[in-house]
Amino acid sequence: MNKRKLKFYIKIWSIMARNSFLSWLNKRSTLLIFITGKLIRYAFSFGFLYFLVKNTNGFGVFNANQALFFAITFLFIDTLGQLFFRNVYTFRQLVVSGDLDMVLVKPVNPLFRVLLGGPDVMDLITLPPILFVVIYIGSLLEPSILHTIFYILLVLNSLIISASIHIFVLAIGIITLEIDHTIMIFRDISSMGRIPIDLYKEPLKSLLIFGIPVGVMMTIPAKAMMGIISFWGVFFSIVFGISLFYLSLQFWNFALKKYTSASS
Amino acid sequence: MQKYISIFRISLQQEFIYRLNFIMWRVRNIIQILIFFFLWDSVFRDHHQIIFGYSKEKILTYAFLLLFVRAFVMSSRSNDAAGQIANGDLSNLLLKPLNFFKYWLTRDLASKFLNLIFSSFEIAILFFLLRPDIFIQFNLLNWLYFVLATLIAIFIFFNILMLTNFVPFWAPETAWGAQFLIIVIITEFLSGAFFPLDVFPEVVFDILKFTPFPYLIYVPIKIYLGADISFIIQSFAISVFWSIALWKITNLVYQKGLKVYEGVGR
Amino acid sequence: MDKAIVVDKLVKNFVVTEKEAGFVGALSSIFHPVKKTVEALKNITFTIQKGELVGFIGPNGAGKTTTMKVLSGLIHPDSGFVSVMGHDPWKKSGKYLKNISLIMGQKNQLWWDLPVIDSLEFNKAVYQIKDSDYEKNLSSLVEILKIGNLLKTPVRKLSLGQRMKVELVAALIHNPQVLFLDEPTVGLDLVAQQALRDFIFEYNRKNESTVLLTSHNMADLADLSRRVIVINEGNIVYDGLLEKLTKKYAPNKIIKVLFEKEVSLEDLQKIGNIDKYNYPEAVISVPRSTISYVASELLQNFDVIDIDIEEPPIEDVIRQVFETKDF
Repeated sequence: MNKRKLKFYIKIWSIMARNSFLSWLNKRSTLLIFITGKLIRYAFSFGFLYFLVKNTNGFGVFNANQALFFAITFLFIDTLGQLFFRNVYTFRQLVVSGDLDMVLVKPVNPLFRVLLGGPDVMDLITLPPILFVVIYIGSLLEPSILHTIFYILLVLNSLIISASIHIFVLAIGIITLEIDHTIMIFRDISSMGRIPIDLYKEPLKSLLIFGIPVGVMMTIPAKAMMGIISFWGVFFSIVFGISLFYLSLQFWNFALKKYTSASS
Repeated sequence: MQKYISIFRISLQQEFIYRLNFIMWRVRNIIQILIFFFLWDSVFRDHHQIIFGYSKEKILTYAFLLLFVRAFVMSSRSNDAAGQIANGDLSNLLLKPLNFFKYWLTRDLASKFLNLIFSSFEIAILFFLLRPDIFIQFNLLNWLYFVLATLIAIFIFFNILMLTNFVPFWAPETAWGAQFLIIVIITEFLSGAFFPLDVFPEVVFDILKFTPFPYLIYVPIKIYLGADISFIIQSFAISVFWSIALWKITNLVYQKGLKVYEGVGR
Repeated sequence: MDKAIVVDKLVKNFVVTEKEAGFVGALSSIFHPVKKTVEALKNITFTIQKGELVGFIGPNGAGKTTTMKVLSGLIHPDSGFVSVMGHDPWKKSGKYLKNISLIMGQKNQLWWDLPVIDSLEFNKAVYQIKDSDYEKNLSSLVEILKIGNLLKTPVRKLSLGQRMKVELVAALIHNPQVLFLDEPTVGLDLVAQQALRDFIFEYNRKNESTVLLTSHNMADLADLSRRVIVINEGNIVYDGLLEKLTKKYAPNKIIKVLFEKEVSLEDLQKIGNIDKYNYPEAVISVPRSTISYVASELLQNFDVIDIDIEEPPIEDVIRQVFETKDF
């Protein structure tokens, strides 16, 4: 991608983000309800893990701080994904109404628009406190600079994996018109990453590493911070992330070809 | 009565019109239970460990019962009423010789019936695949109390859901938001659908038990797993109180809302 | 003249899953879906010159919209050749998309909760329109459509007619060379329909842009396009001037007469085929070849206040076209 194109897409994204933000401001009561909901949900799921970890003294080989770091890393990556890819949740309406046609005939990559077109204001509000907790618990683990860099790289990698999965969901949505459940199923499954996937038994564990990449997405970044992932582990995780991204783009193109336009 | 039987039948068919929706909803249910199951399965190191007062056997039984009780208590159709009120379609229903509450309760029962059948199959399949050690209650009284508590749970849930349905009478633009907040967030967490309420420090549960929420999921399962008689008596007292109180409140709010609805002329 | 659109032997099939009725049917179609192939376009060939305004007509499901969607790159054709201004639409190159616009009645490209101007600004960025061009196009569109007061209104507060106008502005702000209009007047009231037609006509004339228009609304076509392409069951059944179509499928003209005095029906029937007689007015259909003879007969034998010779309504002609199986 050359520099002019990059500049173009940054500009488009910033307009979309601004418009999405302004749209939310128009429905303040709904915004308030959803932020409350999110905060309650975070409080409960993190609180639950907190009590669980306290009661069981960490999970086996992991001590309490490490266990909590897995949990908060999960929350961090999950929130990042929602912040950027929120627009996916409105995709069904776009396909069913046929308004997707209007997106497709514009000289902007349609995937760019449907994936990144509606960044979530709510998560922009919830992100800072989560980031604060990540830094706080992270510092208790006393990581080296290298391990911190690994962590940041792998979190970015998780974002790429998350993007890929959202693209798969969109592509399935074009073919079957089914989005809402698919995306929730993905989020349900990814919530297994709240605890390190090492704890699950086989064959589930392998499935979470190689099938639905919850392990690479949620567990490996946290483990890298703890210094228990080698350079090659980091390397292969990133190779995996990029390959998945490539595959998802192929699948999206395939789905577009199948697109028959609703309501003709 | 005849007309409600035909509503029941039509509702069953309607669930199949949106069959992909129905199937995905069941798939989600199974996955959520599996996640619950695997989480606890992995937390326990050995069979003698007790966490939050649960042996491994009992917590895994909790997971299986959750699939069943949730299907029965929480699956419903009447959440559509909120949208109906918001966009004015309620008028169509009001014109028919039907009782609003009976109509939606019938539709809910159809949904519960279908979900119950499916969840029974799912439980059988999962049991066969996972072969967990399950706690089987041999005391018939506990079984009886369990069924009774579940029926009360259905009624309490129906009323809570109805109350969230009525929010659009006053604020039509938040049709979905109120339901999301009350049902998805508060009810799911406080009912024990996400984790057993014993996870909270004791003082939290001592407060929670005076709300209607624990009686939706947690208490029925707890009764099956073998709660002592004082817990059972106390639970029935409070949950019956809530059933009556909520029923009164729901009716009152409905009457008030209807006046607003007619006033606006939607 | 340059060719703007070339379509050659275009074929497109859809596979649809059939739904069965009833409880058991619904259950069985989960496991054994019944699939059926629909031939949407069987063999479509036509050429459109630059600057032409062409009407696309045919009954529902004939393939009009499918053709439109292939031309705008939304659907991949199964076989055949398509070229619009030298581009393959399916490739959706930026250069191509910047030069076309697709307008579909009742489809929305605007930000629902935001003022109109925000959506226009977004399109300005998307199409990379220069500030000066943007200002110029916007002010001329706003002036023709008379919507200056709507720009700051949130889209959700607009009436359907107002929204259609605003959609037009959004679709034309980049000054496209080729315009695909799919049922643009659907749902509009008569006044708004007329305004829209006038606008399209003006726009085509002033910008020398190529316009392809589908419509159910015969008035749209009679008003706008000289050339029409009639499509039925995936095939083109007529391609030519609208007048010729009328002549071919409407062998009769219509005479409307107003009489001074009541005349007997029997006397009238000697003259031609009486469609309607309700004193003082009569409607008579007459073969084209004898029209002047009949007219003079009428004037000679009856006390006539007024006489009018008309083409039959275009709806009737089109119906005639589709009823005649052997084209």
